[in-house]
Amino acid sequence: MQRTWNSPLGQALCIITGASRGFGREAATQISRLVSPGSVLILVARSEDDLRTLQAELTESKAGKAGLVVRYVAADLGLMEGVESVVKASKEASSDNIEHLILINNAASLGDVSRFTREFTDMAEVNSYLSLNVSSSLCLTSSVLQAFPQRPRLQRTVVNISSLCALKPFPSWVLYCTGKAARDMMFKVLAEEEPTLRVLNYAPGPMDTHMQDEARVKTADLNVRKSFTRMAANGLLLSCEESCAKLMKLLRENTYESGAHIDVYDV
Amino acid sequence: SPSTLGRGICIITGASKGFGHTLAQQVCSLLESGSVLLLVARTGTLLQKLTEELQSSTSAQQLVVRCIEADLSTEEGVKETVRAAKQEDVKDVDHVLLINNAASLPSISHFSSFINPDEVNSYLFFNVTSALTLTAGILQAFPPRPGLRWTVVNISSAFALQALPSWVLYCTGKAAREMMFRVLAAEEPNVKVLSYSPGPMDTEMQEEICRLTGACYDLLPCQEPGAKLMKLLLDNNFISGSHIDFFDA
Repeated sequence: MQRTWNSPLGQALCIITGASRGFGREAATQISRLVSPGSVLILVARSEDDLRTLQAELTESKAGKAGLVVRYVAADLGLMEGVESVVKASKEASSDNIEHLILINNAASLGDVSRFTREFTDMAEVNSYLSLNVSSSLCLTSSVLQAFPQRPRLQRTVVNISSLCALKPFPSWVLYCTGKAARDMMFKVLAEEEPTLRVLNYAPGPMDTHMQDEARVKTADLNVRKSFTRMAANGLLLSCEESCAKLMKLLRENTYESGAHIDVYDV
Repeated sequence: SPSTLGRGICIITGASKGFGHTLAQQVCSLLESGSVLLLVARTGTLLQKLTEELQSSTSAQQLVVRCIEADLSTEEGVKETVRAAKQEDVKDVDHVLLINNAASLPSISHFSSFINPDEVNSYLFFNVTSALTLTAGILQAFPPRPGLRWTVVNISSAFALQALPSWVLYCTGKAAREMMFRVLAAEEPNVKVLSYSPGPMDTEMQEEICRLTGACYDLLPCQEPGAKLMKLLLDNNFISGSHIDFFDA
């Protein structure tokens, strides 16, 4: 790959889910500065309005003016059509000389943290959660890897936005912990199967986002809620920018062990 | 250590064959008079046969052995199971024991073959969602409290902890269950939760694995991992939320 000091990620096709806000939005912004002109950024989320705004911003940015192509796809990744529309847009926008495929599986939801495990008797609710947070990232990743198969001079990188919750149980967080643990394993299997792929489970830490706000307000478990409140009050929440910068560092240096779980505080 | 599991209400899913079938037999011999054993599976005929066998072989013990034919991948199946459990006369019961054993084998193939969300969902809904919602339903039916022994077993696998190529759905489902039950353990001081990995056993599921993949192990007779699980339950020394493998010392 033609990595240069100012385009360390090379001529890339980057697909980012949950790109409309929070960490995903920041990832789109930061990655746009690390890829070479002529690279393609595909922004995916459900909210078309937010995506359009971000696309405009990035198109007007320095990177955009230098030739970065920014497209968005408003899609429900829980449906096959949604996944297919992302793959279609990616194929249409990219060229044969991409050197680097980067897929950032960031889209996620918190689930209802106001209840304990014993209160989850609604199958439809749990199914819906697993569909969005587990199945869709598996199917999207598979479809993208099929559409952009292994070939010489193409590095393929798959990132899973993980969490401490993938490793450690948090009371009243059964859906989120279960989903994150499932995803970590999923991507570890991928790493084992495909030694030419670069797979990273990145835990971004507690960030100042809508998701964190929700966590702080709704968490049923008193101790967990208190610790979030304390973090916010003591300025211990990371900005998306800080955490994302660490992810970019990992991607730039490209020395992580494929399949590893790396936490923001490890970097 | 105690020689019985007390006067219990015990629910075992996937009880009509394989490991579940063996567990039903082994648990039966450890339950005291007045206990209730509920066996849940999709296949009515096999289940009925097992229920009758157990009822007659344990007639001296005065156990109630009942079968519930239910498809646990459906809301109705889970609700029916909880309903049936609630109907039992359990006023003197001192142990609620739920063994989440029902599982299915997914397509064993490369990660990138899984492009259809319906296929992935179908697998996760049966192997993850139904264990969660059934456990929640039974917890609500028999609320944990001090003085009532409450045990939940998650039949797990070494591949809940270790990634195995071509087994993404299976590993993902087992890893999901593992965490789910760890969260439960962290929340419920009056419930003991155990994720138990029984090792490769001589079951239809393992036959299928051998046929599909050519990976044919030396198989354990179900009785062996079953007996170890029974001992763990009798000794009751395990830390709630832990993962114990048959091959652990």
